[in-house]
Amino acid sequence: MHGAHVVLFWLSLFAYGAEAGLQLGGIAPRSPFRSALFAGLLLHALFLGVRWALSGHAPMAGLFESLTVFSFFTALSAFLVCRDPGALPAWKPLSVLVLLPQAGAALVDKRLTPLYPALDTPWFATHVGLSFLGYGLFAAGLALAWVVMRGGDESAYRAAARAALYGFSAFSAGMVCGGIWAYYAWGSYWIWTPKEIWSVLLWVYFAALTHLKFIPPGTGWPGWTRNLEMGATAAGYFVMLTTFLGVSLLLRSSHSF
Amino acid sequence: MTVLWRLLTSLKTCAWASLAFALAGAAGSVIMGRYPEIFSDMDAQVFAGWLADKGLGAPGPALWLYGLLLATGLLVVNAACCTAERLVQILRGKTSLRRLLPHVMHVAFVGVVLSHLVSGVWGDRVPGVAVPEGSFARVGATGLVLRLDRLDVAMAPEGYPKDFAAAVTLFRDMAPVARGVVRANAPLFHDGYGVYLKNFGPTPWGAPYAVFDANRDPGAGWILVFAALFTAANALYLLPARRSDA
Repeated sequence: MHGAHVVLFWLSLFAYGAEAGLQLGGIAPRSPFRSALFAGLLLHALFLGVRWALSGHAPMAGLFESLTVFSFFTALSAFLVCRDPGALPAWKPLSVLVLLPQAGAALVDKRLTPLYPALDTPWFATHVGLSFLGYGLFAAGLALAWVVMRGGDESAYRAAARAALYGFSAFSAGMVCGGIWAYYAWGSYWIWTPKEIWSVLLWVYFAALTHLKFIPPGTGWPGWTRNLEMGATAAGYFVMLTTFLGVSLLLRSSHSF
Repeated sequence: MTVLWRLLTSLKTCAWASLAFALAGAAGSVIMGRYPEIFSDMDAQVFAGWLADKGLGAPGPALWLYGLLLATGLLVVNAACCTAERLVQILRGKTSLRRLLPHVMHVAFVGVVLSHLVSGVWGDRVPGVAVPEGSFARVGATGLVLRLDRLDVAMAPEGYPKDFAAAVTLFRDMAPVARGVVRANAPLFHDGYGVYLKNFGPTPWGAPYAVFDANRDPGAGWILVFAALFTAANALYLLPARRSDA
Protein backbone atom coordinates (compact mmCIF):
# COMPACT_ATOMS: atom_id res chain seq x y z
CA MET A 1 0.00 0.00 0.00
CA HIS A 2 2.91 2.33 0.83
CA GLY A 3 4.24 2.17 -2.72
CA ALA A 4 0.91 1.55 -4.42
CA HIS A 5 -0.57 4.87 -3.43
CA VAL A 6 2.07 6.60 -5.57
CA VAL A 7 0.27 5.13 -8.62
CA LEU A 8 -2.49 7.65 -7.91
CA PHE A 9 0.11 10.39 -8.04
CA TRP A 10 1.32 9.22 -11.47
CA LEU A 11 -2.24 8.94 -12.77
CA SER A 12 -3.03 12.49 -11.68
CA LEU A 13 0.21 13.67 -13.31
CA PHE A 14 -0.87 11.93 -16.52
CA ALA A 15 -4.30 13.61 -16.37
CA TYR A 16 -2.74 17.03 -15.78
CA GLY A 17 -0.36 16.41 -18.67
CA ALA A 18 -3.30 15.46 -20.90
CA GLU A 19 -5.17 18.63 -19.95
CA ALA A 20 -2.13 20.83 -20.63
CA GLY A 21 -1.50 19.05 -23.94
CA LEU A 22 -5.10 19.43 -25.06
CA GLN A 23 -5.25 23.08 -24.01
CA LEU A 24 -2.00 23.92 -25.77
CA GLY A 25 -3.32 22.06 -28.83
CA GLY A 26 -6.36 24.32 -28.82
CA ILE A 27 -8.82 21.70 -27.54
CA ALA A 28 -10.85 22.99 -24.61
CA PRO A 29 -13.18 20.75 -22.55
CA ARG A 30 -16.96 21.04 -23.00
CA SER A 31 -17.33 21.94 -19.36
CA PRO A 32 -14.92 22.21 -16.41
CA PHE A 33 -16.33 19.03 -14.89
CA ARG A 34 -15.81 17.04 -18.10
CA SER A 35 -12.11 17.76 -18.28
CA ALA A 36 -8.91 15.83 -17.75
CA LEU A 37 -8.09 18.45 -15.12
CA PHE A 38 -11.14 17.43 -13.08
CA ALA A 39 -10.23 13.75 -13.37
CA GLY A 40 -6.69 14.62 -12.30
CA LEU A 41 -7.99 16.63 -9.37
CA LEU A 42 -10.10 13.69 -8.12
CA LEU A 43 -7.18 11.26 -8.44
CA HIS A 44 -4.91 13.78 -6.76
CA ALA A 45 -7.35 14.24 -3.85
CA LEU A 46 -7.50 10.47 -3.43
CA PHE A 47 -3.70 10.24 -3.49
CA LEU A 48 -3.35 12.94 -0.82
CA GLY A 49 -6.06 11.36 1.32
CA VAL A 50 -4.41 7.92 1.21
CA ARG A 51 -0.99 9.41 1.91
CA TRP A 52 -2.42 11.34 4.89
CA ALA A 53 -3.85 8.09 6.28
CA LEU A 54 -0.57 6.22 5.71
CA SER A 55 1.77 8.83 7.18
CA GLY A 56 -0.51 9.91 10.03
CA HIS A 57 -0.03 13.62 9.26
CA ALA A 58 -1.14 16.08 6.61
CA PRO A 59 0.95 15.35 3.48
CA MET A 60 2.52 18.79 3.42
CA ALA A 61 6.03 18.19 4.77
CA GLY A 62 9.17 18.07 2.63
CA LEU A 63 9.75 19.10 -0.99
CA PHE A 64 7.77 16.31 -2.68
CA GLU A 65 4.61 16.84 -0.63
CA SER A 66 4.91 20.63 -0.84
CA LEU A 67 5.13 20.55 -4.63
CA THR A 68 2.29 18.10 -5.11
CA VAL A 69 -0.01 19.96 -2.69
CA PHE A 70 0.83 23.20 -4.50
CA SER A 71 -0.18 21.54 -7.76
CA PHE A 72 -3.39 20.23 -6.16
CA PHE A 73 -4.50 23.65 -4.93
CA THR A 74 -3.58 25.25 -8.26
CA ALA A 75 -5.86 22.73 -9.99
CA LEU A 76 -8.57 23.38 -7.40
CA SER A 77 -8.35 27.12 -8.04
CA ALA A 78 -9.49 26.52 -11.64
CA PHE A 79 -12.82 25.33 -10.22
CA LEU A 80 -13.01 28.06 -7.58
CA VAL A 81 -12.42 31.15 -9.71
CA CYS A 82 -12.18 30.17 -13.40
CA ARG A 83 -15.62 28.68 -14.12
CA ASP A 84 -17.25 31.71 -15.80
CA PRO A 85 -17.22 31.47 -19.61
CA GLY A 86 -15.09 34.62 -19.80
CA ALA A 87 -12.53 33.08 -17.42
CA LEU A 88 -12.25 29.72 -19.21
CA PRO A 89 -9.39 30.87 -21.51
CA ALA A 90 -7.31 31.05 -18.32
CA TRP A 91 -7.39 27.24 -18.20
CA LYS A 92 -4.74 27.16 -20.91
CA PRO A 93 -1.94 28.82 -18.88
CA LEU A 94 -3.36 27.43 -15.64
CA SER A 95 -3.12 23.84 -16.84
CA VAL A 96 0.62 24.40 -17.36
CA LEU A 97 0.91 25.96 -13.89
CA VAL A 98 -0.79 22.84 -12.48
CA LEU A 99 1.45 20.47 -14.42
CA LEU A 100 4.82 22.07 -13.62
CA PRO A 101 4.92 21.54 -9.83
CA GLN A 102 3.44 18.06 -10.20
CA ALA A 103 6.09 17.18 -12.79
CA GLY A 104 8.70 18.67 -10.46
CA ALA A 105 7.39 16.51 -7.64
CA ALA A 106 7.77 13.46 -9.89
CA LEU A 107 11.53 14.03 -9.84
CA VAL A 108 11.78 14.13 -6.04
CA ASP A 109 12.04 11.35 -3.43
CA LYS A 110 8.46 10.23 -2.72
CA ARG A 111 9.01 8.20 0.43
CA LEU A 112 6.65 8.87 3.31
CA THR A 113 8.07 11.35 5.81
CA PRO A 114 7.90 10.42 9.51
CA LEU A 115 5.55 12.09 11.94
CA TYR A 116 7.85 14.49 13.78
CA PRO A 117 6.31 15.57 17.10
CA ALA A 118 6.12 19.25 16.10
CA LEU A 119 3.95 18.32 13.09
CA ASP A 120 1.49 16.50 15.31
CA THR A 121 -0.94 19.39 15.66
CA PRO A 122 -3.97 20.62 13.68
CA TRP A 123 -2.23 24.01 13.33
CA PHE A 124 0.30 22.40 10.97
CA ALA A 125 -2.35 21.23 8.49
CA THR A 126 -4.36 24.46 8.71
CA HIS A 127 -1.30 26.71 8.38
CA VAL A 128 0.19 24.89 5.41
CA GLY A 129 -3.14 23.97 3.80
CA LEU A 130 -4.50 27.54 3.84
CA SER A 131 -1.15 28.91 2.64
CA PHE A 132 -1.16 26.53 -0.33
CA LEU A 133 -4.79 27.35 -1.07
CA GLY A 134 -3.63 30.96 -1.29
CA TYR A 135 -0.70 29.96 -3.53
CA GLY A 136 -3.07 28.08 -5.85
CA LEU A 137 -5.34 31.09 -6.12
CA PHE A 138 -2.35 33.34 -6.83
CA ALA A 139 -1.51 30.97 -9.70
CA ALA A 140 -5.06 31.39 -11.00
CA GLY A 141 -4.51 35.15 -10.67
CA LEU A 142 -1.49 34.91 -12.99
CA ALA A 143 -3.45 32.90 -15.57
CA LEU A 144 -6.44 35.26 -15.45
CA ALA A 145 -4.28 38.41 -15.54
CA TRP A 146 -2.56 36.97 -18.62
CA VAL A 147 -5.99 36.55 -20.26
CA VAL A 148 -7.08 40.09 -19.31
CA MET A 149 -3.87 41.66 -20.61
CA ARG A 150 -4.42 39.85 -23.92
CA GLY A 151 -7.87 41.41 -24.34
CA GLY A 152 -9.96 39.32 -21.96
CA ASP A 153 -13.41 40.54 -21.01
CA GLU A 154 -14.85 42.02 -17.82
CA SER A 155 -15.65 38.62 -16.28
CA ALA A 156 -11.99 37.57 -16.63
CA TYR A 157 -10.95 40.80 -14.91
CA ARG A 158 -13.43 40.18 -12.08
CA ALA A 159 -12.21 36.62 -11.73
CA ALA A 160 -8.59 37.84 -11.54
CA ALA A 161 -9.52 40.31 -8.80
CA ARG A 162 -11.40 37.53 -6.97
CA ALA A 163 -8.40 35.20 -7.27
CA ALA A 164 -6.15 37.84 -5.66
CA LEU A 165 -8.67 38.64 -2.92
CA TYR A 166 -9.50 35.01 -2.10
CA GLY A 167 -5.83 34.08 -2.26
CA PHE A 168 -4.92 36.92 0.07
CA SER A 169 -7.70 35.88 2.47
CA ALA A 170 -6.62 32.23 2.56
CA PHE A 171 -2.98 33.19 2.96
CA SER A 172 -3.85 35.62 5.79
CA ALA A 173 -5.75 32.92 7.65
CA GLY A 174 -2.82 30.55 7.05
CA MET A 175 -0.45 33.08 8.58
CA VAL A 176 -2.65 33.39 11.67
CA CYS A 177 -2.64 29.60 12.09
CA GLY A 178 1.14 29.56 11.53
CA GLY A 179 1.62 32.20 14.21
CA ILE A 180 -0.42 30.19 16.71
CA TRP A 181 1.49 27.00 15.85
CA ALA A 182 4.85 28.79 16.13
CA TYR A 183 3.88 30.27 19.49
CA TYR A 184 3.17 26.82 20.93
CA ALA A 185 5.85 24.86 19.09
CA TRP A 186 8.87 27.15 18.75
CA GLY A 187 8.43 29.72 21.49
CA SER A 188 7.35 32.77 19.51
CA TYR A 189 4.78 33.67 16.88
CA TRP A 190 7.55 35.46 14.95
CA ILE A 191 11.19 34.70 14.23
CA TRP A 192 13.58 36.64 12.02
CA THR A 193 14.25 34.28 9.12
CA PRO A 194 14.14 34.92 5.35
CA LYS A 195 11.01 32.71 5.12
CA GLU A 196 9.09 34.76 7.67
CA ILE A 197 10.20 38.03 6.09
CA TRP A 198 9.11 36.86 2.62
CA SER A 199 5.79 35.59 4.01
CA VAL A 200 4.98 39.03 5.42
CA LEU A 201 6.30 40.59 2.22
CA LEU A 202 3.88 38.44 0.21
CA TRP A 203 1.03 39.38 2.55
CA VAL A 204 1.79 43.11 2.26
CA TYR A 205 2.14 42.76 -1.54
CA PHE A 206 -1.32 41.24 -1.98
CA ALA A 207 -2.84 43.53 0.67
CA ALA A 208 -1.67 46.48 -1.43
CA LEU A 209 -2.83 44.76 -4.62
CA THR A 210 -6.39 44.49 -3.32
CA HIS A 211 -6.31 48.28 -2.86
CA LEU A 212 -5.00 49.11 -6.35
CA LYS A 213 -8.34 48.95 -8.14
CA PHE A 214 -9.69 51.72 -5.90
CA ILE A 215 -7.05 54.20 -7.10
CA PRO A 216 -8.60 56.40 -9.81
CA PRO A 217 -6.77 56.12 -13.14
CA GLY A 218 -4.27 58.96 -13.56
CA THR A 219 -2.26 60.39 -16.37
CA GLY A 220 1.11 60.48 -14.59
CA TRP A 221 3.45 57.52 -14.08
CA PRO A 222 2.56 54.73 -13.35
CA GLY A 223 -0.97 55.65 -14.45
CA TRP A 224 -2.74 53.29 -12.00
CA THR A 225 -4.43 51.56 -14.90
CA ARG A 226 -6.15 48.20 -15.00
CA ASN A 227 -3.14 46.86 -16.86
CA LEU A 228 -0.92 47.88 -13.95
CA GLU A 229 -3.24 46.02 -11.56
CA MET A 230 -3.21 42.93 -13.76
CA GLY A 231 0.56 43.15 -14.21
CA ALA A 232 0.93 43.28 -10.43
CA THR A 233 -1.46 40.32 -10.07
CA ALA A 234 0.65 38.31 -12.51
CA ALA A 235 3.90 39.37 -10.80
CA GLY A 236 2.39 38.30 -7.47
CA TYR A 237 2.74 34.69 -8.60
CA PHE A 238 6.51 35.12 -8.81
CA VAL A 239 6.65 36.85 -5.43
CA MET A 240 4.77 33.79 -4.08
CA LEU A 241 7.13 31.42 -5.90
CA THR A 242 10.13 33.15 -4.34
CA THR A 243 8.49 32.89 -0.91
CA PHE A 244 7.64 29.22 -1.38
CA LEU A 245 10.58 27.81 -3.31
CA GLY A 246 13.18 30.53 -3.74
CA VAL A 247 13.77 31.16 -0.05
CA SER A 248 13.92 27.45 0.76
CA LEU A 249 16.28 26.61 -2.09
CA LEU A 250 18.44 29.72 -2.34
CA LEU A 251 18.59 31.32 1.09
CA ARG A 252 19.50 29.92 4.48
CA SER A 253 16.36 29.73 6.59
CA SER A 254 15.49 27.54 9.54
CA HIS A 255 11.88 27.67 8.35
CA SER A 256 11.80 25.67 5.12
CA PHE A 257 8.94 24.24 3.06
CA MET B 1 -1.89 70.44 6.56
CA THR B 2 -4.52 69.37 4.03
CA VAL B 3 -1.78 68.16 1.71
CA LEU B 4 -0.20 66.09 4.50
CA TRP B 5 -3.57 64.60 5.47
CA ARG B 6 -4.30 63.76 1.84
CA LEU B 7 -0.89 62.10 1.61
CA LEU B 8 -1.43 60.06 4.76
CA THR B 9 -4.89 58.87 3.73
CA SER B 10 -3.96 58.21 0.10
CA LEU B 11 -4.19 54.77 -1.46
CA LYS B 12 -1.11 55.67 -3.48
CA THR B 13 0.81 56.08 -0.21
CA CYS B 14 -0.32 52.55 0.69
CA ALA B 15 0.92 51.25 -2.68
CA TRP B 16 4.32 52.98 -2.50
CA ALA B 17 4.87 52.10 1.17
CA SER B 18 4.07 48.47 0.36
CA LEU B 19 6.56 48.53 -2.50
CA ALA B 20 9.19 50.01 -0.16
CA PHE B 21 8.39 47.29 2.40
CA ALA B 22 8.78 44.61 -0.26
CA LEU B 23 12.11 45.96 -1.51
CA ALA B 24 13.50 46.38 2.02
CA GLY B 25 12.33 42.90 3.04
CA ALA B 26 13.77 41.28 -0.09
CA ALA B 27 17.12 42.99 0.46
CA GLY B 28 17.08 42.02 4.14
CA SER B 29 16.44 38.35 3.44
CA VAL B 30 19.73 38.25 1.50
CA ILE B 31 21.75 40.58 3.75
CA MET B 32 20.84 38.60 6.89
CA GLY B 33 22.75 35.60 5.53
CA ARG B 34 25.75 37.73 4.61
CA TYR B 35 26.18 39.15 8.12
CA PRO B 36 25.46 36.27 10.53
CA GLU B 37 27.55 37.99 13.22
CA ILE B 38 24.92 40.75 13.31
CA PHE B 39 21.64 39.02 12.51
CA SER B 40 21.93 35.37 13.63
CA ASP B 41 20.96 36.09 17.25
CA MET B 42 18.02 38.41 16.51
CA ASP B 43 15.66 35.95 18.21
CA ALA B 44 17.88 35.34 21.23
CA GLN B 45 16.64 38.58 22.78
CA VAL B 46 13.67 40.88 22.27
CA PHE B 47 13.81 43.12 19.24
CA ALA B 48 14.41 46.39 21.12
CA GLY B 49 17.33 44.81 22.98
CA TRP B 50 18.86 43.48 19.76
CA LEU B 51 18.37 46.84 18.04
CA ALA B 52 20.16 48.67 20.86
CA ASP B 53 22.94 46.05 21.03
CA LYS B 54 23.64 45.42 17.36
CA GLY B 55 21.10 47.01 15.01
CA LEU B 56 22.06 50.61 15.75
CA GLY B 57 25.76 49.76 15.81
CA ALA B 58 25.73 48.49 12.23
CA PRO B 59 23.82 51.12 10.26
CA GLY B 60 25.08 49.85 6.90
CA PRO B 61 24.01 46.20 7.04
CA ALA B 62 20.88 47.12 9.03
CA LEU B 63 19.75 49.79 6.57
CA TRP B 64 17.14 47.42 5.12
CA LEU B 65 15.69 46.96 8.61
CA TYR B 66 15.32 50.71 9.14
CA GLY B 67 13.55 50.83 5.77
CA LEU B 68 11.31 47.95 6.79
CA LEU B 69 10.39 49.66 10.08
CA LEU B 70 9.79 52.97 8.32
CA ALA B 71 7.57 51.36 5.68
CA THR B 72 5.65 49.45 8.38
CA GLY B 73 5.15 52.68 10.33
CA LEU B 74 3.89 54.43 7.22
CA LEU B 75 1.47 51.58 6.44
CA VAL B 76 0.12 51.71 10.00
CA VAL B 77 -0.36 55.49 9.88
CA ASN B 78 -1.92 55.19 6.41
CA ALA B 79 -4.41 52.52 7.55
CA ALA B 80 -5.24 54.44 10.75
CA CYS B 81 -5.75 57.75 8.92
CA CYS B 82 -7.85 56.10 6.20
CA THR B 83 -10.16 54.63 8.85
CA ALA B 84 -10.19 57.84 10.92
CA GLU B 85 -11.36 59.73 7.82
CA ARG B 86 -14.33 57.37 7.53
CA LEU B 87 -14.97 57.39 11.28
CA VAL B 88 -17.62 60.12 11.13
CA GLN B 89 -19.63 58.20 8.53
CA ILE B 90 -19.16 55.00 10.52
CA LEU B 91 -20.27 56.56 13.82
CA ARG B 92 -23.36 58.05 12.20
CA GLY B 93 -24.23 54.59 10.97
CA LYS B 94 -24.40 55.83 7.40
CA THR B 95 -22.44 52.99 6.00
CA SER B 96 -23.17 49.39 5.16
CA LEU B 97 -21.55 46.46 6.95
CA ARG B 98 -19.61 45.60 3.81
CA ARG B 99 -18.07 49.10 3.67
CA LEU B 100 -17.28 48.91 7.37
CA LEU B 101 -15.38 45.61 7.14
CA PRO B 102 -12.20 46.93 5.45
CA HIS B 103 -11.90 49.42 8.30
CA VAL B 104 -12.28 46.65 10.87
CA MET B 105 -9.38 44.97 9.04
CA HIS B 106 -7.42 48.24 9.19
CA VAL B 107 -7.97 48.47 12.96
CA ALA B 108 -6.95 44.82 13.35
CA PHE B 109 -3.79 45.38 11.28
CA VAL B 110 -2.84 48.42 13.37
CA GLY B 111 -3.61 46.40 16.52
CA VAL B 112 -1.36 43.52 15.44
CA VAL B 113 1.57 45.83 14.68
CA LEU B 114 1.20 47.78 17.96
CA SER B 115 0.88 44.55 19.97
CA HIS B 116 4.01 43.24 18.27
CA LEU B 117 5.72 46.48 19.27
CA VAL B 118 4.72 45.82 22.90
CA SER B 119 6.27 42.32 22.70
CA GLY B 120 9.35 43.69 20.96
CA VAL B 121 9.96 46.24 23.72
CA TRP B 122 8.60 44.69 26.93
CA GLY B 123 9.01 41.00 26.14
CA ASP B 124 11.80 38.77 27.38
CA ARG B 125 13.92 35.93 26.01
CA VAL B 126 15.83 33.45 28.15
CA PRO B 127 17.42 30.99 25.72
CA GLY B 128 19.39 27.84 26.51
CA VAL B 129 18.48 26.89 30.07
CA ALA B 130 20.30 23.54 30.27
CA VAL B 131 19.48 21.25 33.18
CA PRO B 132 20.29 17.55 33.86
CA GLU B 133 17.50 15.31 35.13
CA GLY B 134 16.94 15.85 38.84
CA SER B 135 18.87 19.13 38.88
CA PHE B 136 17.99 22.82 39.09
CA ALA B 137 18.81 25.79 36.84
CA ARG B 138 18.16 29.50 37.17
CA VAL B 139 15.81 30.87 34.44
CA GLY B 140 17.76 34.01 33.53
CA ALA B 141 16.85 37.03 35.63
CA THR B 142 13.21 36.05 36.00
CA GLY B 143 13.63 34.94 39.62
CA LEU B 144 12.40 31.50 38.62
CA VAL B 145 14.33 28.27 39.11
CA LEU B 146 13.54 25.24 36.95
CA ARG B 147 13.93 21.65 38.07
CA LEU B 148 13.87 18.85 35.49
CA ASP B 149 12.01 16.14 37.34
CA ARG B 150 12.02 13.59 34.54
CA LEU B 151 12.77 13.37 30.82
CA ASP B 152 11.05 10.74 28.67
CA VAL B 153 12.11 10.26 25.06
CA ALA B 154 10.58 7.66 22.73
CA MET B 155 12.76 6.99 19.68
CA ALA B 156 11.47 5.58 16.40
CA PRO B 157 13.38 2.61 14.86
CA GLU B 158 14.59 5.04 12.16
CA GLY B 159 16.42 7.04 14.84
CA TYR B 160 14.36 10.19 15.15
CA PRO B 161 12.51 11.18 18.36
CA LYS B 162 8.88 10.05 18.10
CA ASP B 163 7.84 11.74 21.31
CA PHE B 164 9.54 13.58 24.13
CA ALA B 165 8.23 14.98 27.38
CA ALA B 166 9.92 16.78 30.24
CA ALA B 167 8.25 16.90 33.65
CA VAL B 168 9.39 20.15 35.26
CA THR B 169 8.75 22.19 38.39
CA LEU B 170 9.21 25.94 38.61
CA PHE B 171 10.27 27.50 41.91
CA ARG B 172 10.28 31.05 43.16
CA ASP B 173 11.93 31.85 46.50
CA MET B 174 12.43 28.14 47.17
CA ALA B 175 8.70 27.42 46.86
CA PRO B 176 7.21 25.47 43.93
CA VAL B 177 4.92 27.74 41.90
CA ALA B 178 4.13 25.63 38.83
CA ARG B 179 4.49 22.04 37.77
CA GLY B 180 3.77 20.41 34.42
CA VAL B 181 4.93 18.40 31.43
CA VAL B 182 6.61 20.25 28.56
CA ARG B 183 6.50 18.55 25.16
CA ALA B 184 6.31 19.50 21.48
CA ASN B 185 3.52 22.03 20.89
CA ALA B 186 2.78 22.09 24.63
CA PRO B 187 4.89 24.55 26.64
CA LEU B 188 4.37 25.27 30.33
CA PHE B 189 3.05 28.77 31.00
CA HIS B 190 3.63 30.61 34.24
CA ASP B 191 3.62 34.29 35.14
CA GLY B 192 3.60 35.38 31.51
CA TYR B 193 6.51 33.12 30.57
CA GLY B 194 6.27 30.11 28.31
CA VAL B 195 8.80 27.34 28.99
CA TYR B 196 9.71 25.43 25.80
CA LEU B 197 11.69 22.23 25.41
CA LYS B 198 14.30 22.95 22.73
CA ASN B 199 16.84 20.14 22.96
CA PHE B 200 17.79 17.06 24.95
CA GLY B 201 20.40 14.33 25.15
CA PRO B 202 22.70 12.47 27.53
CA THR B 203 25.29 14.26 29.68
CA PRO B 204 28.91 12.95 29.53
CA TRP B 205 28.20 11.01 32.74
CA GLY B 206 25.09 9.41 31.22
CA ALA B 207 22.24 11.28 32.90
CA PRO B 208 19.70 12.78 30.53
CA TYR B 209 19.54 16.56 30.21
CA ALA B 210 17.18 18.98 28.53
CA VAL B 211 17.55 22.52 27.25
CA PHE B 212 14.70 24.99 27.65
CA ASP B 213 13.86 28.46 26.40
CA ALA B 214 11.70 30.75 28.49
CA ASN B 215 9.96 33.48 26.50
CA ARG B 216 7.57 36.25 27.43
CA ASP B 217 5.52 38.02 24.73
CA PRO B 218 3.13 40.43 26.46
CA GLY B 219 1.57 41.38 23.12
CA ALA B 220 0.87 37.80 22.00
CA GLY B 221 -2.65 37.62 23.43
CA TRP B 222 -3.63 40.89 21.78
CA ILE B 223 -2.09 39.79 18.50
CA LEU B 224 -4.31 36.73 18.62
CA VAL B 225 -7.39 38.89 19.32
CA PHE B 226 -6.62 41.31 16.48
CA ALA B 227 -5.65 38.49 14.09
CA ALA B 228 -8.96 36.74 14.83
CA LEU B 229 -10.78 40.04 14.27
CA PHE B 230 -8.99 40.49 10.94
CA THR B 231 -9.81 36.96 9.84
CA ALA B 232 -13.47 37.26 10.83
CA ALA B 233 -13.89 40.61 9.02
CA ASN B 234 -12.05 39.22 6.00
CA ALA B 235 -14.29 36.14 5.89
CA LEU B 236 -17.44 38.29 6.14
CA TYR B 237 -16.11 40.54 3.39
CA LEU B 238 -15.89 37.56 1.06
CA LEU B 239 -19.54 36.56 1.49
CA PRO B 240 -21.20 39.45 -0.38
CA ALA B 241 -18.25 39.51 -2.80
CA ARG B 242 -19.22 36.01 -3.85
CA ARG B 243 -22.67 37.27 -4.87
CA SER B 244 -21.74 40.55 -6.53
CA ASP B 245 -18.24 41.78 -7.20
CA ALA B 246 -14.78 41.23 -5.74
